[in-house]
Amino acid sequence: MSSGGGAAQIKQNMPKRRDVFALFLILLPWTLLITFWQQLAGCPLIPVPKDNRTGASKANQTGFRLHESCITMNKSITKATQIKYVYQRPPPWSDTLPTLHVITPTYSRPVQKAELTRLTNTLLLIPNLHWLVVEDSVQKTAMVSRLLENTGMNYTHLNVETPKNLKTLKKPRNHSFPRGSMQRNLALSWLREHINQNSSHKGVVYFADDDNTYCLELFEEMRWTRKVSVWPVALVGGLRYESPRINSQGKVIGWKTLFDPQRPFGIDMAGFAVNLQLILSRPQACFKLKGVKSKYQEGSLLQDLVTLSDLEPKAANCTKILVWHTRTERPFLGNEGKKGFRSGTLEV
Amino acid sequence: MRMRLKLKTVFVLYFTVSLLGLIYALMQLDQQISQLRGELQKLQEHIKTSELAKKTDVPRIYVITPTYARLVQKAELTRLSHTFLHVPHLHWIVVEDAPQPTLLVTDFLAASGLTYTHLHQLTPKDRKLQEGDPSWLKPRGAEQRNEGLRWLREMGAAAEGKEAAALEEAVVYFADDDNTYSLQLFEEMRYTYRVSVWPVGLVGGMKFERPVVEDGKVVRFHTGWRPNRPFPMDMAGFAVSLRFILTTPQARFDGDAQMGFLESSFLQHLVTMDDLEPKADLCTKVLVWHTRTEKPKMKREDALQKQGLGSDPDVEV
Repeated sequence: MSSGGGAAQIKQNMPKRRDVFALFLILLPWTLLITFWQQLAGCPLIPVPKDNRTGASKANQTGFRLHESCITMNKSITKATQIKYVYQRPPPWSDTLPTLHVITPTYSRPVQKAELTRLTNTLLLIPNLHWLVVEDSVQKTAMVSRLLENTGMNYTHLNVETPKNLKTLKKPRNHSFPRGSMQRNLALSWLREHINQNSSHKGVVYFADDDNTYCLELFEEMRWTRKVSVWPVALVGGLRYESPRINSQGKVIGWKTLFDPQRPFGIDMAGFAVNLQLILSRPQACFKLKGVKSKYQEGSLLQDLVTLSDLEPKAANCTKILVWHTRTERPFLGNEGKKGFRSGTLEV
Repeated sequence: MRMRLKLKTVFVLYFTVSLLGLIYALMQLDQQISQLRGELQKLQEHIKTSELAKKTDVPRIYVITPTYARLVQKAELTRLSHTFLHVPHLHWIVVEDAPQPTLLVTDFLAASGLTYTHLHQLTPKDRKLQEGDPSWLKPRGAEQRNEGLRWLREMGAAAEGKEAAALEEAVVYFADDDNTYSLQLFEEMRYTYRVSVWPVGLVGGMKFERPVVEDGKVVRFHTGWRPNRPFPMDMAGFAVSLRFILTTPQARFDGDAQMGFLESSFLQHLVTMDDLEPKADLCTKVLVWHTRTEKPKMKREDALQKQGLGSDPDVEV
């Protein structure tokens, strides 16, 4: 009986070890799976660091919580072989310069590719620039995706469709609903989601429409914004330029505009920039959508962020023009289809 | 017995999972390889630019831009200069429609960082568009472009040795200050033997106009307006080798040409349709757009200025 009991005991011990072994083997594939899944989920909308930037730039990207060995699932490496030309890369990323987060809402129309192309040519000259392009569309269009990929810039591609009942109707000048607000708000929430408020990342947010014209100097002026900086904007509001009114102490006391100068913030979208920390610390601050007419939407954001006395005037105390509110004509396409001429599938 | 069975199933499970994992890893590897290949390509091209910029025997591109004073002039020139800053070996010839060079353009060019030549040529009153005239009524910029050509010919005659050799290879392009140019366009036109052509977007009432290419030659033109013109193309749709301009002194723009015939008045001195060199992937890509900028509404400003209340006229816009 004792030998039988001993054998049973041994048998009991061995199953125990086998148990553990079996348990280990069961758990191993699951842990492998989970690690793979982590890698996959590690990069949803985060821009991939371009390998030809310096190592310092990668360190600077920690604010975006980038995974160094990030494999981009959503970037198809298309026809790199067919591109014979050379694109100028943006200037190397610097460790000391605050990042400029430039938010550009865009929508599909014949001149869209042209507008984005020439805006790209300007932005490619600015160091430490992160471009957030937000399409007004149901899904990201191939044209914009390809254009952004080919620039070599640090960019984030987003999209949100403005509901049809809120979109401006046939007349492009129907200002009953401010254009681009939903898209700008999406970009702001992206920044809030992806950048930790407590990180050492220094940045400035600027709203750049795709049809305006920007001087290179403008970006350097806004880079050192502490709270909200302001400057004149040319060719807007029916005037040669609109500008903040500065008193002798260099403080903003009002607005030199024709249209309702009594507005709390009588400034155009292109006329101000906000420090990123301010955006992150006031998560409820955004562009109001309902009941806000065009030319008041800028105020709807700024009122939650800053008071008049906190505004920092730039551009030589608001006496220089560094940005123009240019608008591009709608091209006449009336000859399409006439006499059998059709454009076919060429991308324009 | 139960233990052993469990172990077997565990092994089977482990085997299948690791097999799936292996397949997944191979797919990832494949993607990584193609991504690396792409990056390699981009890096090689990047090296090429830096080499291109340092090389001195790369053909120079002379860009002639007529310009005239209006509210959006500085804005247009600014964003145009940003495009040119990316193009190596580019020489910008800006010709103002003015009796003398203006301070705005002079200061602007000096600060632009580009290699430039600043000229001026006033359009005679009878050829000038009046306020309220539609833009297509009279051909614009003919005198200014001719002035640019004159300067080039003068320079060509005076050049010798290495400089003369460089001019032999150079290309001339007419770039209006309100169009939009992609960077590839300049690399396409850089190696032009005689006259090279490509599609232009948003022109002629169409999404694009282009030469139609068969067997590598231009056989006709896809255009929505008067296709029977000798060269139904837009100014932005062709570039000419400097050598041909220097050897064809009679080639110039006819300021009295009929609407839409300005380009033809110049090109017919230089080339026939057969000799045109199609670029941009045999004229299947749009690399330049004929954008036009809206005239900003200044009614209130004008009224205010009369009252002395408008924006400060000393501030340059």
